[in-house]
Amino acid sequence: MMQGTLHPAPRGRDVVLEQVRIVGLSLRREALVAAVVLGVVTLVIAIDIVHGRAATWFDSDEWFVIGLFSFLVPFAVWRREKRFGPAFLWTLPVDRRRLALAKVFAGWVWLMAALACFVLWQLALAVLSGVADAETVPLVAFSGATAMYLLGSALVLGLRHPLRWLLGTAGAFFLLATLNEALGRAENGMARMFAWSGALRWAIYGPYGIDTLLSSRTFQSAVENAATVWWPVTIFLWLGAGVAALWAAASRHGERRRR
Amino acid sequence: MSEAFAVATHGLSMRYGSEPALDGVDLRVPEGAVYILIGPNGAGKSTAMKVLLNLERPHAGRAEVFGLDTASRGPEVRAQVGYVAEQHEHDYGWMTCGRLIRHAAAYYPSWDHTYAAHLVDVFGVRLNRKVGTLSKGEARRLQFVLALAHRPPLLLLDEPADGLDPVVRNRAFAQLAGHLADTPTTVVIATHHIHEVESLADHVGVLREARLVAQMTRDELRRTVVRYRLEVPEGWQPPPELRTATLRRSRAGREVQWTLVGEPDEVTARLAGAGATVRDVTPLALEEAALAFLAEEGAA
Repeated sequence: MMQGTLHPAPRGRDVVLEQVRIVGLSLRREALVAAVVLGVVTLVIAIDIVHGRAATWFDSDEWFVIGLFSFLVPFAVWRREKRFGPAFLWTLPVDRRRLALAKVFAGWVWLMAALACFVLWQLALAVLSGVADAETVPLVAFSGATAMYLLGSALVLGLRHPLRWLLGTAGAFFLLATLNEALGRAENGMARMFAWSGALRWAIYGPYGIDTLLSSRTFQSAVENAATVWWPVTIFLWLGAGVAALWAAASRHGERRRR
Repeated sequence: MSEAFAVATHGLSMRYGSEPALDGVDLRVPEGAVYILIGPNGAGKSTAMKVLLNLERPHAGRAEVFGLDTASRGPEVRAQVGYVAEQHEHDYGWMTCGRLIRHAAAYYPSWDHTYAAHLVDVFGVRLNRKVGTLSKGEARRLQFVLALAHRPPLLLLDEPADGLDPVVRNRAFAQLAGHLADTPTTVVIATHHIHEVESLADHVGVLREARLVAQMTRDELRRTVVRYRLEVPEGWQPPPELRTATLRRSRAGREVQWTLVGEPDEVTARLAGAGATVRDVTPLALEEAALAFLAEEGAA
C-alpha cells in the first residue's frame, strides 16, 4: 500500500472537542453532587439573609477551598481512564502525549466553567444579601486554580498510584511529627515539624508560596525593609512549575516512552 | 523491501521480567493476506499485536506497519488498524454502546457511519446498553463494530471468537468475509482455534515459547507438512538430516508414523535411501499441520 493512500489521523481540533465532550460526560455525577451541595448552601444562606446574618458568608478565604478542589479535579477527570498499560485510550490514532494533554485541557475547560459558575453564584448571593463590601472570589484566583490543576494533573498522569504517594507523604510527615513530640524535642510535634521544615513553610507561606498564589495578593513581608513580591510573579512561577511537571508526566506516556 | 508487507517485524524481542514474551520474531504479513498467528497461551501472540500498536515497547528489534515504524509513527499506524483486543472488558464501562461508537468515530476521519449502522444491526449491538453491563459475547460484538467501521487497511484480531456463541461466531466470520470482499484489508488473527478461521486463512505463523517457529503460506504448509507411514527394518535409525525436520513421531513395532516438514518428494527419497519403505504419505488438514509445530510429545 502506498503511504499516500493510508488513512489520515484525526485533526487536533476534533480530538480536543471530543475530549471536552467526553470529560464533561464523565464528570456528570461529580457535577450533580456539587450542584446539590451548592443548592443546600444556597438554602442555608437564604435563611441567613432572611435573619440578617448573611455577612458571615462573605468574609472567608474560599480560594483555599478552590485550590484544593482544583488540585483534586484531575483525579476525577482520570478516574475512569486506565492511564498505564494497554488501554483503549492509547489505541486511538493520536500521539499519546498529545492525547493526554488534550484530556488535561478538557478537564481544565470544565474546571474553569465550574469556577465561573461558582463566582457568579457567589456574586448573585452577595447582591441579593445586600451585604456591604462582600468579599467574593476574585477572577484572578482562576490562575491559581489553574496552577493547582496542572500540578494535580501532573501527579495523576505521572504516577501509577498518586493517592498512595499523597497519603504516604502526608503519613510520613505526621509520623515524623509524632516521633518528634514523643522524643521530647517539642511540646507540639506538628508545630516543630513546620518550624523544622523551612522548605515546607516557605512553599506555603513564603513570598512565592501557595498562600500568595491562591489568594492572589501581593506578598508583603512582616520583616521590616524586606522586599515586596508582586503576586503575578508568584502565579507565573507556579504556572511554569505546573506546566513543566505536566509535560514531564505526560512524557511517561509518549510514543517513545521508556519501557 | 518492507513496503511489500503490511506488517514486518525485525528481530522483535520483549520480556516481562525475566520471562521472554517475544524472542527475535520476524513476522512478514503480505498486504491483503489473512494471516493466522497461532500458538499456545503465553506464546507471545497478544504481545506481538500490542507492539504493533505501540501499546508495548519491545526490548529489541522493531516493527513496521505499511512501512511505518510503529515506535515513532504510532498515531499514523493506529489510524490504519482496527483492533479487537483479547480482553473483552472495556475501559469505558460507564458509556452506552452508542456513545462509545460516536466517541470512536471522532478519532477516525475514515469512519463510515452508514457501514457502522449496518454493523450495529448485523452484530445486534444495543446502542442504549451500558458497555459495563455487556456480557463477554456482547462486548466482543461491539469490539467488532469499532474495529471494522472505519474500514481499516489492517485488522488485528486477538482471539476474535472468544466469548461468541456458535451462531454469532458464524455470523461474525461471515461478516468478516464480506468485509474482506468489499474492503481491501490485511488481517492478522491471533488464535489457538484455527478451525474457526481456517476458511479465511492464506498465511500461517506459529509462535511457540516466544519464538516464531514457522511462517508460510497455507498452500506451502499443507504441501510441506505431511505425515509419512513407514515400515522400517529392525534397529533402523532415521537419517540425521531429517531429525531437524521432525515434528511428530510415533512407533508401533516396525511401523513408524512420522510428521515431517519438507518437500515430500525429497523427504520420501531420503527415507527410502535410509532403508525405510514409505507406505503412505498423507497431507494434513491446516489445523493439524499448524498444530504439529506445537507438539513436543513424540518428536525426535
